[in-house]
Amino acid sequence: MRHYEIVFMVHPDQSEQVPGMIERYTNVITKDGGQVHRLEDWGRRQLAYHINKIHKAHYVLMNVEAGNEAMEELTTTFRYNDAVIRNLVIRRDEAVTEESLIMKSEKEDRERKSRYQERQAAEAKVEEAAAAEADDSGDADAAEEVAEEAVEETAEAAEADDASAADEDAEEA
Amino acid sequence: MSRFFRRRKFCRFTAEGVQEIDYKDLEVLKQYITETGKIVPSRITGTKAKYQRQLATAIKRARYLALLPYTDSHQ
Repeated sequence: MRHYEIVFMVHPDQSEQVPGMIERYTNVITKDGGQVHRLEDWGRRQLAYHINKIHKAHYVLMNVEAGNEAMEELTTTFRYNDAVIRNLVIRRDEAVTEESLIMKSEKEDRERKSRYQERQAAEAKVEEAAAAEADDSGDADAAEEVAEEAVEETAEAAEADDASAADEDAEEA
Repeated sequence: MSRFFRRRKFCRFTAEGVQEIDYKDLEVLKQYITETGKIVPSRITGTKAKYQRQLATAIKRARYLALLPYTDSHQ
């Protein structure tokens, strides 16, 4: 039994097959008495250069402990499976279980994106609230004034970053 | 009479006590390839020989998996 690190790239059109493939490969390894220590699905990633006119590929990383026969079987299935564009198998000295750096950066990207969207949604809400306030006061001129004040207040609030101060101003207005 | 000070080169892998350079650590690997995608020689970067060898294999693995480019002129 040895430790191996396997990365394989699947054709993006065959992305739906990935869960099935992972299951099959895991079976191959475990039925031989091996073990999967780390399994990561990096999803579809942009390639640094085109391979067979493909710009993207679905990456899967596996760290396994397996015997020679299981690995032989795995590499032949890779070779004869047209969906697998490329594969890399390297030997490792011990089991690696911590999250890989690519997975980490991918997650951070996703988090940053969701945070950005949240912030945009919040800003949209603030604008809506200001508009609603202006509508409530009835008189057109007064409404404009209030709207201006509201804008100033929000600007002040952003600068001072002090929510309580902004509330007091709002009460006075 | 060239009396300007050149910043001392140092090997960041030795300084950080890195065990093994990971081919998945693209942020680090990108610092050791040129704009055209070549591996930067250790005489420029100051990387110790032990780590330069690891770096070379790591970059080559990353290139094979299309995580890094071989050159800037891939169409």
